[in-house]
Amino acid sequence: MKVFLRRIGALVRLSLLELWRRNDMFVLLVLALVLLVPLSMARPFGAAGATRYFDEAALLLVWGYSLFISLGVGGRLFTSEFSSRTVYPLLAKPVSRGELLLGKYLGAVVAAWSALAFFYALWAVSSALRGGECLSACLMQAFVFHALFSALAVAAALCGSFLLTPSASTTLLAILFPAMFFFGRRLPEYAENVSGALRWLVKAFYWAAPHAEFFDMRQRLVHGWGGVDASVFLAVAGYGIAYSAVLLLLAGFLFNRKRL
Amino acid sequence: MNDNVFEIDNVCRMFGQVTAVDGLTLSLGRGEVTGFLGTNGAGKTTTIKMLIGLIRPTSGTVRLFGRDPVESSVRARIGYMPEMAYYYPFLNVRELLAFYGGVCGMDGKLVKSRTDELIEVVELVDAAKRPLKEYSKGMLQRAGIAQALLNDPDLLILDEPFTGLDPLARIHFRELIKKLREKGKSIFFSSHELGETELLCDNVAIMKKGRCIYHGPVGRLAGDGGGNLERLFLEVLEKGGVR
Repeated sequence: MKVFLRRIGALVRLSLLELWRRNDMFVLLVLALVLLVPLSMARPFGAAGATRYFDEAALLLVWGYSLFISLGVGGRLFTSEFSSRTVYPLLAKPVSRGELLLGKYLGAVVAAWSALAFFYALWAVSSALRGGECLSACLMQAFVFHALFSALAVAAALCGSFLLTPSASTTLLAILFPAMFFFGRRLPEYAENVSGALRWLVKAFYWAAPHAEFFDMRQRLVHGWGGVDASVFLAVAGYGIAYSAVLLLLAGFLFNRKRL
Repeated sequence: MNDNVFEIDNVCRMFGQVTAVDGLTLSLGRGEVTGFLGTNGAGKTTTIKMLIGLIRPTSGTVRLFGRDPVESSVRARIGYMPEMAYYYPFLNVRELLAFYGGVCGMDGKLVKSRTDELIEVVELVDAAKRPLKEYSKGMLQRAGIAQALLNDPDLLILDEPFTGLDPLARIHFRELIKKLREKGKSIFFSSHELGETELLCDNVAIMKKGRCIYHGPVGRLAGDGGGNLERLFLEVLEKGGVR
C-alpha cells in the first residue's frame, strides 16, 4: 500500500508540476483576475437586480474557465506522454498502466481544483467586499458540485483522448458540456414533442450524456436561495463520482489496448 | 535453477503484415554483458520493447527473471534507458530522479541519497538545477543513465547508450559498465558502436530482418583468424549467419 501511494504521489506531483510550469495556465489565471474582479465588483446604478446579473455573469465565466482548464489538462495528460514518448521509460518502471492512469488523472484533477479554488476564493472575497456572506453553506455546496463536475470533465477529456485525436475530442466535449449545461434539462420536454426514432434517440441521449446542469448552483448562489437538501446533494455527488469512474474504467481499457 | 535473467523463446512480433521479429530465441545469463547489434529496422528496439513489457509478442514467450515482463513488479529489477532521451523537459535532473524514484516505490531518503550519488557519477552536479530542456544531447543521455541506475537494477537494458556522448563521457560510461559488471549486474545493450561493443561485451547477438543470425562470444565470431568486430559484423550480415 505504501509503495502504491508513493507511485500515485509521484505521478500526481508530476502532473501538477507540468501544469503549473506551463505559461498558459498563468495567462488564464491573470485573465480571470482581470475579468472576474471588475464583473463581480460592479454596482451598476446601485441596483441590486443589476448587480446580481453581473454576479451571475462572473460565475458563468468561472464555469467557462474551469471547463477550459479541465478539458485542456485532461486531453493533454496522455497525448503529451505519447507524442514526447516519455511513456516508454515510465512504463519500463514497476508501475502498471492502471496506476499510471489513476496517478495522472488525480494530478490533473488536483490542478483543475486548485484553479477552481482560486476562482471561487476570488468570487467569495469580492462578494464579501460588497457586504455579502463570504463562506456560506451554499457557496461550499456550489464549490463541491463544481469540483465534481471538473473531475468528470477531466475524465471525459482523458477518455476522449484515447478514442479520438486530442483536438477532435476537446472540440466535441467543448460543445457537449455547454449544450448540456444550458439545454440538458429541456431534453425530456423536447423528446415529448417529437415522434418515432428521434424521440428514442433524444431519450437515449438524455440518459447517456453527462448532465453538467446537475452541478450548476449559480442561481441559488446569486439569488440567495440557499443550498440543496442533503439527499439531493448526495445524489448529485454520487452521479458525478459514478460517471467519472465509468469514464476512467473505459479510459483504462483503451489504454491497455493501445499499441506503444 | 535457471540462471538466466531473461529468456526469449521463439518469439515473433508482427505489426500488421510486417514481421518485425521472426522466431527469435535469445537469453542472457547473470553477470553477462551482451551487445545487441544489427542494422536499422533489424528488430532490436522491438525486442527491447518486448523485454520491458511495453508490447507483447505475437507468438512465443518472453520471460524476465522467470516471469512475464508485463507484470509491473518484475520491472523493479530492471533499469532501462531508451534510445532517445524521452524525459520531461520542464523538470531538472533532481526532480526527474525524484519522480522516477517515487514511481519505483522507493523511500524518499533513499531516492535522495541515490540521486546525490548518481548525479556525481554521471557528472551533472553543475547542471542539476537546470531544466532538462536546456540540456545538450549528451547531457540528456547521462541523465538517462542516472535514471536507469536509480533503483540499483539487476539487469540494465540500454538502447543505443553511446549516442551523443563525447569521447570523455564514453570513457566514463565504459568504466561505469565495467564496474557494474564487476558487481555482478547483467547488461544488455543495443548499439551501432562496434568498437565499444567489442571492448565491453562477453557476447554479441546480431539481428538481421527480425532474425538472430549470430549469438555467442565475440571471440567465436572472430574465429582463429581474429579481426575487428566491424569487419566480422559485415561478414556475418552478408552471409546471413556464422558457419
